[in-house]
Amino acid sequence: MQKLRKWLKLVIGMSSFILLTSCGVEPKQLERLGLITAIGFDLKKENEITGTVAVSKFDPMAKVMTNLISADANTLQTLRSEENLATDQRLEMGQLRCVIYSKELAEKGIIQLVNALNRDPAVGNMVYLTIAEKDALSIINMDEKKIKVNIGTYLYNLIRQNVERELLISPTLHEFNHQFFDYGQDPVLPILKVAKDKVAISGVALFNDDKMVAKLSNDKLFYLKLLTDQYRTGSKELEFNRDEFANIINVQGGQSYGEIYNKLFISIDNLRSNTKIDLVDKKNLVFDIQVKMDSRLLETTNYLDLGKPANMKFIEKKINKEMESQIKKLLVFFQKKQVDPVGIGNEYMAHVRGKPISQEDWKKLYKNAKFDVQVKNTLTKTGTMD
Amino acid sequence: MKVNLHPKEGLLFNAFMLVFIIHSIQVGVGLAGLPRVVYLEAKHDAWISVFLAGVITSFVLVFMIQMLKQYDSADLYGIHVDVFGKWAGNSLSFIYMIYMASTFFIILMNYVEIVQVWIFPTLPTWQLSLVLILLVIYAVYGGIRVVVGVAFLSVVGTVWLAVVLFVPLQFGDFTHLFPILNVNAKQLFKGAQSTTLSMLGFEIIMFVYPFVKEKQKALFFLQIGNLITTITFTLATLISIVFFASNSLEKTIWPVLSMFKIVRLPNLERFEFIAVSFWMLIILPNMCLYLWAASKGFSRILRKKQKWGIWVIAMAAFAASFFIKSRYQMNTMTDLVAKAGFYLAFCYPVILASIVLIKKRFKRKESKHAETS
Repeated sequence: MQKLRKWLKLVIGMSSFILLTSCGVEPKQLERLGLITAIGFDLKKENEITGTVAVSKFDPMAKVMTNLISADANTLQTLRSEENLATDQRLEMGQLRCVIYSKELAEKGIIQLVNALNRDPAVGNMVYLTIAEKDALSIINMDEKKIKVNIGTYLYNLIRQNVERELLISPTLHEFNHQFFDYGQDPVLPILKVAKDKVAISGVALFNDDKMVAKLSNDKLFYLKLLTDQYRTGSKELEFNRDEFANIINVQGGQSYGEIYNKLFISIDNLRSNTKIDLVDKKNLVFDIQVKMDSRLLETTNYLDLGKPANMKFIEKKINKEMESQIKKLLVFFQKKQVDPVGIGNEYMAHVRGKPISQEDWKKLYKNAKFDVQVKNTLTKTGTMD
Repeated sequence: MKVNLHPKEGLLFNAFMLVFIIHSIQVGVGLAGLPRVVYLEAKHDAWISVFLAGVITSFVLVFMIQMLKQYDSADLYGIHVDVFGKWAGNSLSFIYMIYMASTFFIILMNYVEIVQVWIFPTLPTWQLSLVLILLVIYAVYGGIRVVVGVAFLSVVGTVWLAVVLFVPLQFGDFTHLFPILNVNAKQLFKGAQSTTLSMLGFEIIMFVYPFVKEKQKALFFLQIGNLITTITFTLATLISIVFFASNSLEKTIWPVLSMFKIVRLPNLERFEFIAVSFWMLIILPNMCLYLWAASKGFSRILRKKQKWGIWVIAMAAFAASFFIKSRYQMNTMTDLVAKAGFYLAFCYPVILASIVLIKKRFKRKESKHAETS
């Protein structure tokens, strides 16, 4: 009996040693892998898309770091096997950083391609989704010598640093999914354009469901972000008529100042904001939007007399008015285009009991929604000068 | 067969350990998919359902302990014989054994599936299940004290994962939670019922009870274990509701694991790999405890050695693992076990406890009559 037990232990021990070396798991050697860092999708013709991938190599002897492979197919999976046939490396999606859809494709709907990413456990949730202003190929095709890094990393850094500077709404796969699958919100993705051997962000695309319906320029994006998010270190330039400020423009002892513009521009930064959206009237769909801000006045194109509290109050009031009207304009624009990137629908659904409203019904209601916007900006500092 | 089981002094463990036993056996493979299954029933009030299920569980625990208190030191096998007689009692015990063995199997298969989907798509089922089964057999061979030790290590080793659950909150949208209590009571209770698979495991107390040293303290520590589980589950559900859009939560099979995808460490892009690997430590005590309790029946009912039972059940589970191939088969099996668990772990102990309590009272009266006359 004792002997048998010893044998049993030995067998169990040996077999776990053999099995735990994971012979059923395929080895993945780094040198033999081609890591896809970016994918671009273009609509080639009806029923066919072109996928272009930027592949990073780990071979220290190779001169070019990235490899471009392009293929035509209907699904992401065939695309990948087609691409695999065109390279000596095994393509892996695990390091995917950025996906680009052409505008043409985005206008037709991209959820099929996004869902393929969702289903694949190898793809992370923090992949950035973007829209190409024209075609995705030309962006992935950027000359690597000019941008110095591989295109996937470049795009990733481009978006990340702008998100961190609060100039852009974070366009990760997760956020796209969240906004797409929520009835009461629509996704927003940045639009990339090629400009002089560089890729830059030219604005954001507004989606209705998974179809791109409108473009929002970068300066308008500020107000959208103000409504959906909190600013911690934002900045904004505002435009005013100079006549309105005639009283407080400081003419120091008759010294004349040259005037470059015929308008007055005020720039504020260190902006900290907090926005509350409330449904105040369920019947008539009136939303109350309260924006509270603290900011620093940094730059004015005319010399303003900032020493007097009354003047500061005046400027604050002007800024509030300007922002209110801009936000209202933006909301009306959204209503006209039938997009809801702010998440007004979520706010509505959170306040109305009973059977959940369908997306279609909400879009009908959304058209008639009214907004009461109030901005309260406090200029806390004026830099090192009065 | 003796109704009461009197293990040697050296085999007993402290009542305090029940916290770890109950918590570790409840938290298992079910948790990974819990938010979704409850959400399907109770919508955005799912977290209330989960909490409700925890409260119900704690009531069932009271019933169980009340029943066990009527005896000196009995387990369910003994109670069955005492209440229903030899044949009927043993057949009931046998059903319970099959239920526990299939739960053991379901946990194993669900975990293998998770590993296959998330990390190694090409890994054959039998390899991982063989390794896991051998590991569990090794633990159960050591007896109840080793199994309790596994439960303890499992809880201590994975408690930090609960902290990681808070990371997804920064992407949360709290409007999803409102309006609170928008569903009717029926949906809430249905949601509570769908938590069964995750809440299951507390019935193990009916088998480990004879091994508890301070039996009068058992209920207290059981409730603490159940409370910790309930809080964990409620939080996981709440965070999932806030984190996912409603449509995508309905479609995500393992929301808790999907949430881990958001975690990003400077030198580790994909945290879910760690989470899935650590999940093995979470399910290990579940499998050990179920295998121990089911194989205990062999020594109690059939008077064979328990080791014999361990091998029979383990080999049967291993053999069965070859027959499950697709996701929908898994789903039907899991649903079946969850349904069986609902009746056997939630409803049946309450009924049995009432029978035992009535019987004991009846007997007491009878003996009093006998004394007076």
